[in-house]
Amino acid sequence: MRQLSKAFGSQWALRDVSFDLRAGECVALLGQNGAGKTTLLKLLSALMRPTSGAIELARPAVGYLVPGAHLYEHLTVGENLRLFLALHNNKKTPAEVEKALSRASLTGAQDWLVSALSAGMKCRLLIAKWLLVEPGLLLLDEPYGPLDGAGVDLLESFVSELTRAQTAVIIATHQIPRALALCSRALVLTRGRLVFDGPRDDAAANLDRLGESLLPRGEAWSY
Amino acid sequence: MELLRQACWLLWKDVRLELRRRESLMSMFFFGALLLFLFQFSFEIRQDRVAEMTPGLLWLAFVFTGMLALTQLFQPERENFCLEALLLTPFDRAALFVSKVIFNLILMLLVELVVFPLFAILFNLQYWGLLPSLFAVTFLGTLGFCVLGTLFSAVTLKARARELLLPLVLFPLLIPVVLATIRCLEIILRSGAWSEAYPWLRLLIAFDVIFMTAGYLIFEWVVEA
Repeated sequence: MRQLSKAFGSQWALRDVSFDLRAGECVALLGQNGAGKTTLLKLLSALMRPTSGAIELARPAVGYLVPGAHLYEHLTVGENLRLFLALHNNKKTPAEVEKALSRASLTGAQDWLVSALSAGMKCRLLIAKWLLVEPGLLLLDEPYGPLDGAGVDLLESFVSELTRAQTAVIIATHQIPRALALCSRALVLTRGRLVFDGPRDDAAANLDRLGESLLPRGEAWSY
Repeated sequence: MELLRQACWLLWKDVRLELRRRESLMSMFFFGALLLFLFQFSFEIRQDRVAEMTPGLLWLAFVFTGMLALTQLFQPERENFCLEALLLTPFDRAALFVSKVIFNLILMLLVELVVFPLFAILFNLQYWGLLPSLFAVTFLGTLGFCVLGTLFSAVTLKARARELLLPLVLFPLLIPVVLATIRCLEIILRSGAWSEAYPWLRLLIAFDVIFMTAGYLIFEWVVEA
């Protein structure tokens, strides 16, 4: 992406953000509340149009995982998956769907209404969905929020599996130590500007200087 | 073919949701019946004024009942950011337009199937022999209402106070289709002759074709704006 900017009225949410992303790369997107992380993800997923700048994608299929969103609450788990796989023109067999659900600890949940699932289970269902679709670029917006310990393990193994399959992954989160442990590279946004783009080790060394109030008082950057 | 396959999946989703929630159809049935009873208490239709009054009253009931469906049409997509979920998939955006028009048409026709005979019974009208002709014209009018209604329901999707905005925008644009349908019905009820109704029928068909084509072409821009 080149010189990407987004303004809401007279307020700039992103200013001249440029970076390249390689296939199979996992990138942690860090920044304070209101730094522009979600705006950047929405621009990358084409859910929002930039005010200026351009995005070029080698593989156009973009996945966007936001816990608690993007599921029809009054359809069942199986119906949601069937609908989205059909719209992705993805011909996964029922056995493959059941296998993905089983990996997400949702075995036998195909007939459950999504409205009956907990927040963590909905997040697992979204993981199963993108596991089946295998996008070229996957964007995760605060994915750790509703997940328990096993859910976090599932999420991290899911990210590792996708990056091995050459899917680029961007994780926007405030769980900085976890994200830096998982990703090889970090981007730090401050008030809409990209103030750091480099290896995670450099990010960890510079985070105190780069972004104030990214971590609660007394917590370390260790990962 | 791909567009039809995608439209069928989206229609299947809407039908499943309606069967599970029964929100639109039940409220439409009750509202339609309520309007008819109100009309029955308010007007007395003499047999010599049937052709003059019936089409207008019937279409008043259909339009108001249809507005209930239109305000709910994109509700599943508004909840839980599901429209975003759909837009993340590479489907043809026109498939969403086609599926919503068909779904809305199904709802309206089901309500009309109940409202038409109920109206005849309440007002003691004897037009059973003309029912096929009346249904044919009503189908074309309903299609025009659904096409335009779906398009503007999507236009006002992200607007605040959309329930207020939608009728304000839609009613003036619906005038040609409502007028043509009412005139066609009036002519058929009066003389039973299609030939006299042709100019209005042509207007009705042209309206349907123009707005179906326009909706198909611009829906991607409307829904992604």
